[in-house]
Amino acid sequence: MTNVITSNPTIRDIEELLYDEAAFLDKADLDGWIELYTDDGTYWMPVLPDQEDPVNHISLFYDDRVLMEIRRRNLKHPRAASKDYPIRCSHIISNIRVTEQVDEITTVESNFHCLVYYNDRQTTYGGTYRHELVRSDSGLKIRHKRVDLINCDAALNTIIIYL
Amino acid sequence: MSYSTEQIADMVKPTFLHRKIYTDPAIFELEMERIWGGSWIFIGHESQVPNAGDYITLNYGHLPVVMVRDKQLNIHVLHNRCGHKGAKIVDKRDGHVNAFRCCYHGWTYALDGTLAGVPNMKGYEGTGFDRSDPRYNMQKLARYDSYRGFVFASMNPRAPDLKEWMGGAATVMDNLCDRSPEGEVEVAGGVLRYEHECNWKLFLENLNDTMHPMIVHKSVVDAANDYIATLPEDSARRDEAEIIPPFGASYEVFESTGITGFRYGHHYDGGETSIHADYSVDPDYERAMLAAYGADRTREILTYNTHNTLYYPSLTIKSAIQNIRVVRPIAVDKTIIETWSFRLKGAPDSLLQRTLLYSRLINANGSMVGPDDLTAYFRVQQGLASTGNDWIEMHRNFGQDEDQGDRLVNGGTSDLDMRTQYAAWKAYMTNDTPLANQEAQAS
Repeated sequence: MTNVITSNPTIRDIEELLYDEAAFLDKADLDGWIELYTDDGTYWMPVLPDQEDPVNHISLFYDDRVLMEIRRRNLKHPRAASKDYPIRCSHIISNIRVTEQVDEITTVESNFHCLVYYNDRQTTYGGTYRHELVRSDSGLKIRHKRVDLINCDAALNTIIIYL
Repeated sequence: MSYSTEQIADMVKPTFLHRKIYTDPAIFELEMERIWGGSWIFIGHESQVPNAGDYITLNYGHLPVVMVRDKQLNIHVLHNRCGHKGAKIVDKRDGHVNAFRCCYHGWTYALDGTLAGVPNMKGYEGTGFDRSDPRYNMQKLARYDSYRGFVFASMNPRAPDLKEWMGGAATVMDNLCDRSPEGEVEVAGGVLRYEHECNWKLFLENLNDTMHPMIVHKSVVDAANDYIATLPEDSARRDEAEIIPPFGASYEVFESTGITGFRYGHHYDGGETSIHADYSVDPDYERAMLAAYGADRTREILTYNTHNTLYYPSLTIKSAIQNIRVVRPIAVDKTIIETWSFRLKGAPDSLLQRTLLYSRLINANGSMVGPDDLTAYFRVQQGLASTGNDWIEMHRNFGQDEDQGDRLVNGGTSDLDMRTQYAAWKAYMTNDTPLANQEAQAS
């Protein structure tokens, strides 16, 4: 059965969600961030450009709700040595466009730059996001986010938080 | 500064190590020459170059080399340098060629490194230049050999044979391969490259340091257990729940796994048991193993359970997980760690998927385990700049290692792994034939 969509999200609705997500990550607030995802939501950061498979190939991140929940708790744990340092981020998202609208799923692609200041070092990450958004009773939510770093296959240092 | 052999020998005491071992660029250069140049270094796996002309490039220590399969299907490990002006010949991480061709002046080489062509030979007439002189070839490394598909090379013409060098530690590589119903593994699922801002030895020392997991990994174990506790009892089984919590095992559990050390610096923890011993077994995999090996041998293979095995200094493997980590030193305080995963030939896809999940959960740049380890190494690297104390200590269970002839054995929380590594370090660095552990310990 195909659901009938009465109104697809506007580009303004989409921007609002993406900027809300960026604001939570800028503050390293995973408690707020996780609420933007559906219960079956996933977060994927491949290690190859054009990587097709998160399960039969290694990735930098591939988290479902279980790992998001563990990560959310880990970030606040007083004995996580790698989290002893403040994590400050600044995300800029641009070039936002809807690339697909199928039933309830809106696929959105954008470009991002993200500065992460952590352990006395500022790192610049950049690349593209692909969000799959879904309408729910509580508004627009993220069902899947794919982060393609332009240097995903380089020897990277620790990536301390979702980008 | 430069060091005399005696000064270097004095940096390794039976229960102390000098901080300059980790911080002095001059020591690092000597290590590249004497340890990395003297021992066998892991290059790659034969499955990465299945056909003639297939190659991979990498750094041996910090020297560029290429592993290639020639037209007779033999594998060679060559210096990645043109015989003419010295340009690096191939620069992709992997690929396929019919012959090597330098990008600069077009000199070409056969797949075994032999110079095949020089453009415009006219200007060389009467100059004494002899194109057939092997000095113009891409040079072969002094030694290369493989064990069950794992290719190693050595700069040292006098290195012992690979099998002799591996000694009793070869059992673990056998176990990794025997876990395949066909007895063979192949590289699969890509590689993670992780920059570590620390000396290469700090990574190695952590492998069988079982006094750290309950401290360093408490945060992820607590986070996982806290979350698991919120789930209903009938929740589906998750591999994460088998992989993460054992990192918080007690001192007693880690003590019971034991550490075994060998000549040339190799060692492993576990054997009869390890923190991977209680993983579920895919019934399809078990059936394939039983069909291939029968019940007794299958049990023997699957209950041999090690955690980390180090082939000093470049390769560490997890046979029960089927992943390996490869050490690529860059500078005294910078190292790249590569994580590769293996498919057990003839096993269901679920096995490779678990290997990749493990690598992602434990070893990835974005994981919640590796970054805490790296933070500890980073702090050691920073702390050792201090001149307040020139020595680090390694006393645990000193004088109590049990000599079993070809190996030394002690409890899992002992510093046997440190004693094993630094006996080899001292022997290589003082240009001695690496000593048996027991001789080194007595000195």
